[in-house]
Amino acid sequence: MSEHAARAVLAEIQKRPGIETELIDAATLPIPTDEAGEAAKSPAFAEAMNRADAIVLVAPEYNRGYPGLLKHVLDTNLHEYIHKAVGVVGVSSGIFGGARVIDNLLPVLRELGLVTIFWDVNVNNARTRFDENGELVDDAFLSIDKFLDELVWMAETLRHGRERVTLGGPA
Amino acid sequence: MRPQMTCPKCGAEMNHQADKLREPTTQEEAETSRLGGIVIAVFACPSCGWIASQPLREDS
Repeated sequence: MSEHAARAVLAEIQKRPGIETELIDAATLPIPTDEAGEAAKSPAFAEAMNRADAIVLVAPEYNRGYPGLLKHVLDTNLHEYIHKAVGVVGVSSGIFGGARVIDNLLPVLRELGLVTIFWDVNVNNARTRFDENGELVDDAFLSIDKFLDELVWMAETLRHGRERVTLGGPA
Repeated sequence: MRPQMTCPKCGAEMNHQADKLREPTTQEEAETSRLGGIVIAVFACPSCGWIASQPLREDS
């Protein structure tokens, strides 16, 4: 269900002019599981993260937490994330819409140097939200416009800061 | 002296935007770090947006 949610979020982002986006499925990345951290880095994924001004994580909730594979993939980069915007879409088959996976991801994202926005998207009862073709059947994304507005604002502001504001002030 | 870096993609002078602690990846790093990891100076290129980093001396 989270793949359907990711495609629906992608479609919402693509409605916005001037934004280039890419859908990356963590399950298909060529990242070894017998290494960890930057030792397991995928050059293509690292380059995508380096180019990105913002990241949307669409995360399914399993046993109140995030999938181990998602954490493993996130850990393969560090400087590529620093001072970039991130928003989280939680997906669950229950009524809370991934609220707990979002809460559990926040300290991880902070440690990676990402800057979280305060809007989330919660897709609850995910098994009933999409038809057999993966299309949304109802208004599951109530907060998507607020979420994307905030994400784009944060992305633009942080890009300005990364490139123009020097740590410690002007020389 | 402030850390400096030239963009490996386009050659422009990069902006020092952050110092970030990262976990040690070798035994030597773990033994020599007082902060529990290695501090990296993170740069962004004002010309092409590329991000790069280099280890920062602990006394800088």
